[in-house]
Amino acid sequence: MNEVGILFERGKLFLPHVMMAAGAMEAGVALLEADLPKDAASKKLGVIVNGTVEGDVHDIGKSIVSTMLQSSGFEVHDIGRDVPLQDFIDKIKETNANMVGMSALMTTTLPGQKEVIEMLKEQGMRDGIKVMVGGAPATQAWAEKIGADCYAENASEAVSKAKELLL
Amino acid sequence: MGMPISHIMTSGMSGIRAAGDLVARMQLSKNMRIADAKDYVAKKLGVSTPDLSDEYVMRELREELGIGVITSVAGAPKGIAAKMNIEKLLDIKINCCEKFRDQVE
Amino acid sequence: MTTEYALRMGDGKRVFLTKEQIMADLEEGSADAADLGGIPALSGDEIDKLAEILMTPSRMVGVEPGKEVPVTHDIGTIRIDGDQGNSGVGIPSSRLIGSMMHERAFGADTMELGHIDYSFKPVKPVIAQEMQTMEVCQQNMIVPLLYGAMPNMGLYYTPDGPFENPGDLMKAFKIKEAQESMEHAADHLTRDTVWIMQRLMASGADGVNFDTIGAAGDGDMFASLHAIEALRKQFPDIYIEAGMAGELLLGLHGEMEYDGTVLAGLWPHQQAPLAAKAGANVFGPVVNTNTSKTSPWNLGRAVTFVKAAVKDSPIPCHVNMGMGVGGIPMFETPTIDAVSRASKAMVEIAGVDGI
Repeated sequence: MNEVGILFERGKLFLPHVMMAAGAMEAGVALLEADLPKDAASKKLGVIVNGTVEGDVHDIGKSIVSTMLQSSGFEVHDIGRDVPLQDFIDKIKETNANMVGMSALMTTTLPGQKEVIEMLKEQGMRDGIKVMVGGAPATQAWAEKIGADCYAENASEAVSKAKELLL
Repeated sequence: MGMPISHIMTSGMSGIRAAGDLVARMQLSKNMRIADAKDYVAKKLGVSTPDLSDEYVMRELREELGIGVITSVAGAPKGIAAKMNIEKLLDIKINCCEKFRDQVE
Repeated sequence: MTTEYALRMGDGKRVFLTKEQIMADLEEGSADAADLGGIPALSGDEIDKLAEILMTPSRMVGVEPGKEVPVTHDIGTIRIDGDQGNSGVGIPSSRLIGSMMHERAFGADTMELGHIDYSFKPVKPVIAQEMQTMEVCQQNMIVPLLYGAMPNMGLYYTPDGPFENPGDLMKAFKIKEAQESMEHAADHLTRDTVWIMQRLMASGADGVNFDTIGAAGDGDMFASLHAIEALRKQFPDIYIEAGMAGELLLGLHGEMEYDGTVLAGLWPHQQAPLAAKAGANVFGPVVNTNTSKTSPWNLGRAVTFVKAAVKDSPIPCHVNMGMGVGGIPMFETPTIDAVSRASKAMVEIAGVDGI
């Protein structure tokens, strides 16, 4: 799947191919499950809640990130677009997530990422979760300013940064 | 606003301050690449291609030709009147001029 | 002590680099584009010239006299009356005033009219307002005035539109259903765009600017190319600009074709001939800025992609050089030094026909 991710980023493979490869990998792992140590086959790399913040209806980039994370072995809970900020907190609690990904495609909605981080702090949850931000107006400097753990430029970088932080 | 103005100052043809609109019209109406569009307009105007971005040359010429200038004199063609003169000068049709003619004929 | 030059990161932050670092980043950026696109990297002379532009000890640079190109404009007048995060400077004004300010005060070579949402689909309920404004603008203006909007095919998917969200379908491994949803959305996008432009042409528009084609993937370009084709057939003299959303046309469907070419995975030099084939007059290549890299890296990469597009395009290329594209930093008020240098580089090295 690492190779598939690279080929997607290079425009050699497309989203349906990524999904087909992910499906094949899941089927292959299922076949091998009996020979693998208990829990090893079905163990996910981490649990990630991913969504586009409130007020922002952009969906496509965030969905690609979710798909790439999912096909790389993470358990992904894509909570959609225009997501009320409290819903991020609720979903993190519900799924016991290790990471939250927040997308914003407009400068008007970017502050929503900061607000969720503040809410995590207020509820004493910040230390237990990694925060990734992305979207066209987001930058590394913005991530540092609001206290996110990482910024990802694109879907494949989101996967590699999630692995860096969670594995 | 700083960005478009920076582009115009760095690379632009200055629109109706010079002859940028005319060169753009030839690109958009006849798919002309930049060198061909400039050659075409320069020949129609009887100037050199560098003159097309020269406000000093184009200010008087535009006024003489009635194709619209910034800081125009009283009675000088503007809007559709100026564009109808551009049609004749460049030998092209402009949609709004066609619509205008349809309405008055 | 080694001389350091004050340049920019992709997010606009000041960075100090030596000539050796600048050259290395230019070469690396160019090599990245060459590798991805299967196109030639910039030559040693071109890298030297780019470095010279970047290291010029003045705030602004300019193209050599005689090398000027038309500068066209997107986002309509939003940059004037938009505010509070809407990419503008918040000056209350009508769109006629905004358009005439571009023509008469700023020296714009062309202009476009657009509405505040700037996608095609929401134009339908306000079409009368758009037609009226176009007519009034055309009566007063001289420079070519197009109507501009984004194809934005995402608006046709749930919950904004009638077709099931292909992102959700893909995640559920319903690949065929996701592809069908994109095909339906593309048909509707084509139909809406043509309907809107029929009315704006009746109100005197010079033509149309498709802004950010491909933002919703290959289906978005499929729909746009078919709209261009239909408009060209119906209005032989319409001006059509086809501007892209990014350097790589994302394959969300993966199998859509135009004129026998699979759209997914196309790079700028491959996109341009298709836009021309469909009937566009001007192609707008786009190369996104990487905010974590330096301006030499981004400019080396962007110029390499755009130079190849200019070479392979049968129609004029007006490179997109707004916020976060074409080697310009991703920052709402991009620094003039970076904009000016990228602008000159695109004209003098990539050889663009316009900006």
